[in-house]
Amino acid sequence: MTAFSIIGKSVKRNDLIDKVTGSAKYVADMQFPGLLYGKTLRSNVAHARILRIDASRALALPGVKAVLTHSDVPRVLHAGSPHPRSASLSCDQYILDDKVRFWGESVAVVAATSEEIAEEALGLIQVEYELLPAVFTVEEALRPGAPLVHDLGPGGNQVLDPVTCQRGDVEKGFQEADLILEGDYEGGRPVPAYMEPNVCTCQWDPTGGLTVWISTQTSFMVRGIMAEVLGLPLNKVRVLVDHMGGGFGAKQDLFQTEFLCALLARKTGRPVRMEFTREETFLGGRTRHPARIWLKQGFKKDGTITARQARIVYTSGAYGSHGPGVTNVGTTALASLYRCENIHVVGSCVYTNTPIAGAFRGFGVVQAYYALDIQMDEAAVALGMDPAELKLRNAVREGDVAPSGHPLIGHGLEDCIRRGKEEVGWEALRSRERDEHGPVRRGWGLGCEMHGSSAYPGIKEQGNAIVKMNEDGTVVLFTGTAGLGTGTHTVQAQIVAEEIGVTFESVSVVHGDTDAVPWDIGAFASHTTYMGGRVAQMAAAEVKAQLVARAALQQAVDPSQIEVRDGVVSVKGTDRSVSVREVMMPKRGIPAPQFVGSATYHPTKSYSFAAHFVEVAVDIETGAVKVLQVVPVHEVGKVIHPVAAAGQIEGGIQQGIGHTLYEDFQIDLKTGRSLNPNFVDYKMPLFMDMPTIRTVLLETAPDPGGPWGAKGIGEDPIVAIGPAIANAIYDAIGVRFHHYPIKPEQVLAALQEREGGAQ
Amino acid sequence: MNQVINLTLNGEPRTLMVACHRTLLDTLRLEGGLTGTKKGCDVGECGSCTIIMNGKLVNACLVLAVEANGAEIITIEGIQRSALELHPLQENFIKYGAAQCGFCTPGFIVAAKALLDENPRPTIDEIRFAMAGNICRCTGYTKIVQAVDETAREMQENGREAL
Repeated sequence: MTAFSIIGKSVKRNDLIDKVTGSAKYVADMQFPGLLYGKTLRSNVAHARILRIDASRALALPGVKAVLTHSDVPRVLHAGSPHPRSASLSCDQYILDDKVRFWGESVAVVAATSEEIAEEALGLIQVEYELLPAVFTVEEALRPGAPLVHDLGPGGNQVLDPVTCQRGDVEKGFQEADLILEGDYEGGRPVPAYMEPNVCTCQWDPTGGLTVWISTQTSFMVRGIMAEVLGLPLNKVRVLVDHMGGGFGAKQDLFQTEFLCALLARKTGRPVRMEFTREETFLGGRTRHPARIWLKQGFKKDGTITARQARIVYTSGAYGSHGPGVTNVGTTALASLYRCENIHVVGSCVYTNTPIAGAFRGFGVVQAYYALDIQMDEAAVALGMDPAELKLRNAVREGDVAPSGHPLIGHGLEDCIRRGKEEVGWEALRSRERDEHGPVRRGWGLGCEMHGSSAYPGIKEQGNAIVKMNEDGTVVLFTGTAGLGTGTHTVQAQIVAEEIGVTFESVSVVHGDTDAVPWDIGAFASHTTYMGGRVAQMAAAEVKAQLVARAALQQAVDPSQIEVRDGVVSVKGTDRSVSVREVMMPKRGIPAPQFVGSATYHPTKSYSFAAHFVEVAVDIETGAVKVLQVVPVHEVGKVIHPVAAAGQIEGGIQQGIGHTLYEDFQIDLKTGRSLNPNFVDYKMPLFMDMPTIRTVLLETAPDPGGPWGAKGIGEDPIVAIGPAIANAIYDAIGVRFHHYPIKPEQVLAALQEREGGAQ
Repeated sequence: MNQVINLTLNGEPRTLMVACHRTLLDTLRLEGGLTGTKKGCDVGECGSCTIIMNGKLVNACLVLAVEANGAEIITIEGIQRSALELHPLQENFIKYGAAQCGFCTPGFIVAAKALLDENPRPTIDEIRFAMAGNICRCTGYTKIVQAVDETAREMQENGREAL
C-alpha cells in the first residue's frame, strides 16, 4: 500500500487565512467607482396578471437612474436551473413576466445611487394586478379543472411526466410477504439559509463585454445562461467568483436578479450591485421540495423485503427549477438502499403558487429516505427484530442495481452500521433499563442512507483541469470548481501535490474566473472531490510524466527508475537525488521547460454510505425534543482532508436536525403569503441546540472513479440524520411520526391522543 | 441629514461624515472601508456583523453610526496582532476547521475574543452561550467550540500576556 505524504492530512486550508482575518472579499465587499444599487419590487399577490405598472414617480425620485419592468426586458424563455441539456432542465422562466406566479416574485427593479433611495423608489412604483385563482397545495393543484400555474409542460400543473422505476413484480412480492406495511410520509419546506444573501455585481466594458461578480456554485452555468438570454457570445461574459458564503445547492440557479442587474448596468452605463435582503433569500431564493410519500413494503418473517411500492409527489412551487432532477433522483433512490427484487415507484412534481423549490443538499433523497428508513424501523418493531439487524440484512451490496440503474461498485452500508453499533454499544443500549422517572424520556435511533457522487446519469458529467509547473518546481492548478466553503481547493491542491510528489505548499490554485480556468459544471451533487479531484489528479499525472522524463534524461536512467516525493527526485536503488526545483531550473541559458498537463474526465457515479446513531431526549411535559448526541459513521472511500470531511458531516447534521425538529418555511394557504421569512420566525438549530457529534470516517469501499478511491460526502449527512431522529423519538416515547419537522405541540398532541386512546 | 462623527476604529482615530439614518454596519463597510464585518440579515438576527463597541459586543446593524460618536470600536480587522501575525483564535479557527464558507466567521471570532477578554477559561457551555447569538450554517458549531476552547487552554498555559 502506498504511504501518502499529503493525502489524509488536515493541512492548513488555503482559503481560511483570508476568512479569519476579514480580508476575504465576498461580492458585497467589493467597491466600484460609480456603483449603483439595484433593488427588486416583489409581488404582494400570489397569482395575477399585471395590467399596468406606473414607475413615473420612482423615476422622478432624485438618485434613481433606471427602472425596468417586464416591458423593458428581453422576453426569452429559459430554465432557472441552467444545467445544459440535462434531465434537470425545466424551461419555464422569463427575466420578468407580465404574470406573477407566487407571492414575492420579481415585478420591477430599480437602480439608484444608494440602497436607501432604491428602496424608497420601490415604494413609489404602482402595480395594478388582475388577480387569478391560485393553488397553494398539491391537492389544489391536482384537482380537475384547477387553475394552471403554467401553460407549458405536460399540463395539469405537472412539471414533468411522472418518473417510474420498476423491476420484478410487486404484486407477486406482496403475495409472498408475511408482513405488509403501508404509510403516508411528509416532508416540510426547509430553506438552505446560507449566511451570505444572494448577491451579484454587473459591469459592461466599452467593447460590449459583461463582467459578473457573483455568489454562485455554478459560474459557467451563469455564464452560459446569461449569454443565451442576453444574446452574447461566451467570450463577452466573464463570471468571477472568489469567496462565497455558502450555497448548499440552492446557488446553482439563477434568481432573475442576475439578468436584471446586467440590464440595469447596461441601461445606466454604470456598475450595478443587487444584494438580497435576508427576507428575499426566503421569497426569491430556493427551498427544499415539500414532499408527500406513500410507501408500501412487504417483508418475510426473517426480514427479507419482498416488495416495495411507492408514490412520491414533490411540490415545485411556481417554477420548475430542479424539479425534474429532484424527482428523478429522489424517486430512483427508493429503488435502492435496502435490497428488493420487486419494485414499483412513481415520482411526480407539481407546480403551485408558492416560492420556488430548487436544489438543496440531499436533492430529493432527504424526503425519500426519511420515509424508507422510518418504515424499516416500523418493520423491525413489527417483526420483533433489532432495526440495525433488519437494515444489515437488507443493505445493498456489490453488484446490486444502484439508483442510477447501474450495478453498484463498492458497498459500505453494512460497514457503517456495524461500526456504529460498536461505537455506541448498541446491543447494551437495546437491552438497557428505561428510566421512566421525571418528564424526560431518552431514546436511540438509527438512520441510514446512500448518496451518489455526481449527477450521472441525469447529467452526463465532465470534469476538466489544467496543471502547470513553474520553473522553480512550484505548481499551479487551474480549476473551474467552485469553493462553497468546503475546502475543495485545498483538497485539490493536496491531490495535485501528492500525485506529482511535491509539497502541499508548492501548489497554488487558480479558480473562479470563467475566462481563465477550464469549464466546470459547478459544485453540486457531492462530486467536486470525486470528479474535480480526480481530473486534477489526471492533469497532475501528465505533468509528473514530463518531469520524470526530464529527470531521467538528466540522470541518464530509465524513467522507471525515477521517484518523486516531497519535492525530491531520486533514482531508485541509489543515493542520488536532486530537488524538483533543480530538475526544472533553466540551465546554461536554456529556458526552463514548459510543463502543462490538462485532462478531461467523464465519470459515471459512485455511492457513499452512512449510518447515524442518535440519542434524543423527549420532554413529555413540553413536547420538546433535544438531540443529545450523534455518532455519524460515513464510508467515503478515501479521506483526503479529515477535518474538512468531518466539517461537512457536522454541518449536514446541523441542517438535518433543523429539518427534522424546527425548520419550516410557512406559506399562508389562503393568500400564498410567506409567513416567516426571517431568522427569528424561521427556527434553525443554534449553538445551544447542537449535540455532541462524534464522527467516524471509513475507507472500506473506495471507488475506482475517484482520486485514490475518494467519493462524495457533502450531501450524505443531511439524509441520514432525519430518520435517525424520528426513530429515536419512537424509541423514547413509543410514538411514531411520519413527517418533518416534528414540533413540540405535535409531540404533546400525539402523547395526549395515545393516553386518551389508552383510557 | 448628515453628521460628522469621531470614533476610534481598531485603534485608529477616524472622522467620518455619515447620514443620520445609516447603521454603524453600513458605515463601517462603506465609509470605514472595513468589509470584514458582514451583513447577513441587517436586523440583528444572525450575528455576522458582531463588533466590540466600548468593550461590549454589539450587532453593528442595530446601532446607528451617530450613536457611535466617540466610541472605541474593534472589528475583525483589529483582532490580528500585526499584518503577519494572527491572533491565536484565528490560528485555531483555521486549525480546527471552525470556518467553512467564512461569512459568519468574523462575527464568531470577534464574539470569542470578547468572551475570552472577560472570561479567560470558559466552560464549554459558557462558550456555547456566549456565541448563541451568532448563526453558522456550515460547521454544526462543533469545531467552533473546539477552536475557542483550545485557544482558552493555550491562553491559560502561555499566560495572558503571551496572547
